[in-house]
Amino acid sequence: MGIFDCDIHVYPSDSCPLESFVPDKLRLAVELGMDTQPWNGYRNPHGVNRRDVECDNAADLARLHLDPAGVIRGVLQPQPGLYLSMIQNVDVANAMARVWNDWQAENYLAQDARLLGSACLNMADPVAAAHEIRRIAANPQFVQVVVPGEAAFLYGHRFYDPVFAACEECGLVFALHPGVEGALSSSTPVGRPSTYLEWHSTLSLTYQAHVASMVCEGLFERFPRLRVMLVEGGIAWLPHLLWRLDKNFKALRHTVPRLRRLPSEYVFDHVWFTSQPIEEPADARDFLSLLGMVRAEERLCFSSDFPHWDFDDPGNVFPSSVSVAWREKIFRRNAEGLYGQRPAALPLPPNPQTPSAG
Amino acid sequence: MSAASPSSSAVDVPLLPRDFALDRAFAETGHGVRPARAGTRVLNAGSLDGLESEPCRIVPDGKSSIGVYLIDGCLYAVRNQCPHKGAPLCRGQLGSTYRPVGAGAEPFEEVLCNRVLRCPWHGWEFDVVSGKGLYDAQGRVRTYPVRLNSNREIEIFI
Repeated sequence: MGIFDCDIHVYPSDSCPLESFVPDKLRLAVELGMDTQPWNGYRNPHGVNRRDVECDNAADLARLHLDPAGVIRGVLQPQPGLYLSMIQNVDVANAMARVWNDWQAENYLAQDARLLGSACLNMADPVAAAHEIRRIAANPQFVQVVVPGEAAFLYGHRFYDPVFAACEECGLVFALHPGVEGALSSSTPVGRPSTYLEWHSTLSLTYQAHVASMVCEGLFERFPRLRVMLVEGGIAWLPHLLWRLDKNFKALRHTVPRLRRLPSEYVFDHVWFTSQPIEEPADARDFLSLLGMVRAEERLCFSSDFPHWDFDDPGNVFPSSVSVAWREKIFRRNAEGLYGQRPAALPLPPNPQTPSAG
Repeated sequence: MSAASPSSSAVDVPLLPRDFALDRAFAETGHGVRPARAGTRVLNAGSLDGLESEPCRIVPDGKSSIGVYLIDGCLYAVRNQCPHKGAPLCRGQLGSTYRPVGAGAEPFEEVLCNRVLRCPWHGWEFDVVSGKGLYDAQGRVRTYPVRLNSNREIEIFI
C-alpha cells in the first residue's frame, strides 16, 4: 500500500552540515550567537566574562580581585543559581536551592572570611524558600537572599510574604539581580527585544515595575524592617519613577489606602542600590546631580560585577569630582549599614583604603 | 535643505544632518598607521621570529606597555591601555566586525577582518591598524609606527 508519514525529523550533522549553506556575510552573526531563540535567553555574543581573567575558585577571586582592588568585604552573586526560580519542576528547584547554597558556603564562604553570601531561592515556592532562608541563616556569612528580576509576580505581591517574613526574622537583605528577564514572558511590557544590547539596556524596566509594586502593595507596611537591595540595575531611572509615584500619589492616594507615607519615603527607607553598571554621562556635573537625586550618600553601595564584561573598576569608576566623604560612604559605609545586622559583615578592620580619584 | 519641490504636497521637513559619527569612525580606518613624529625614541620589541604563533606580543615600556601584532604580513603596535577605563586592551580578542550601514543597505557586511581589537573588559572595539575606536567619532587608542631592522628585530617608534 505504501505509507504517507507526516512527521519525520532531520538534523544537520557531520555528514550533511548546515554551515555550507550559511552565506558568508551571515557567518559572523551565527558565530556570535545572534540567531539565539527565546528558550536560549539573551546571550552576550562575546560572553559575559572579562577576557583577561579566569576566576574558578575562592583563591582565584582573592588573587585577581579582592587583593589587588583592596576589597575587605565582597558579596557573592552565584550564577546561574540565582535564577533557579525558573526551574520548571518545583521540587527540583527547591532541592537545587539547597545545592547552590551549600556549594557557595563550602567553596567560597568557608575559604575566605571576606566573602559574604547571597542565598539562592526558589521563589515559585515561597514557603519552601522561607524554610531555606531559616536554614542558611545559621551561617553568619550569608547576608542576603538573591532573586532574579524575572518573576511570576511583581515582588510586592503577598504571594511572596513567607519569604519577606523570613528575611525580616533573620536580618537578611532581599536582593534583586537581573538576568533571564524574558524567560517567563517578555523582558519589556510590549514584546521581545531582538538583541542583547536592547535587552540589557532596558532591564531597568523590570526594576521600576518591582519597586512600584513593593511600594504600592504596601510591602513595607507589612514588613517594616525589610531591606531591599537592587543589584546591577542602574540608578538614573529612580528619580523619574519616584517623582511620578509621588506626584500621582497626591491625586490617587485613596487607591492605595495601605500607604501612610509618600512612595519615595518608603524607597529611601527600605531600598538600596548597587553602583554597577554606573551611568557615565559625558559631563561629570550631570553625574554629581544624579548622585544627589538618588541620595547616593545614603543608598548607593559600590559593586564591581567582577568578572563580567561590564564591570566597574573601583579605581576609576567615579569622576574625580565625587568627594572623599561620599566615596567613603559609597565604597564602604553604606554597605556596612545595610548588611551590618549580620555578624560576619562586621566588625571591619580599621583604616581601610578607599580608592581615590582615578 | 529640503528634498521636496515647492509644488509638492509633501510637508517641508528639513533633512537631518548626514554626518554620522560611526560613518566617520569607519572612514578613519582607511587612513592607515599614523606616521612617527619627529624626535621619537625607538623601543626594541624583540625578534620577528615566533611572532606568527603569538596572538600579540606585549612589550613593556616604563610603566605602560605596547602590544605588537603581525597581521597579514604587516606589523602593528598599539598602546596596551584602553582609553575608556585603562584596561589591558591588548589582552582582548582580535577579529572582525560589521560595518554600520543604516537602513538603506543590507546589514551584515563583515569588514576589518583580523584587525578589530575588542577590549577584554567592556568590549569596546578598536582598529589595530589606525587605532580608531569603532564606537564613536572621537575615540581612539594610540598606535605607533613599526619597522623591522636589519637583524629582523622589531622597532617601535614612540
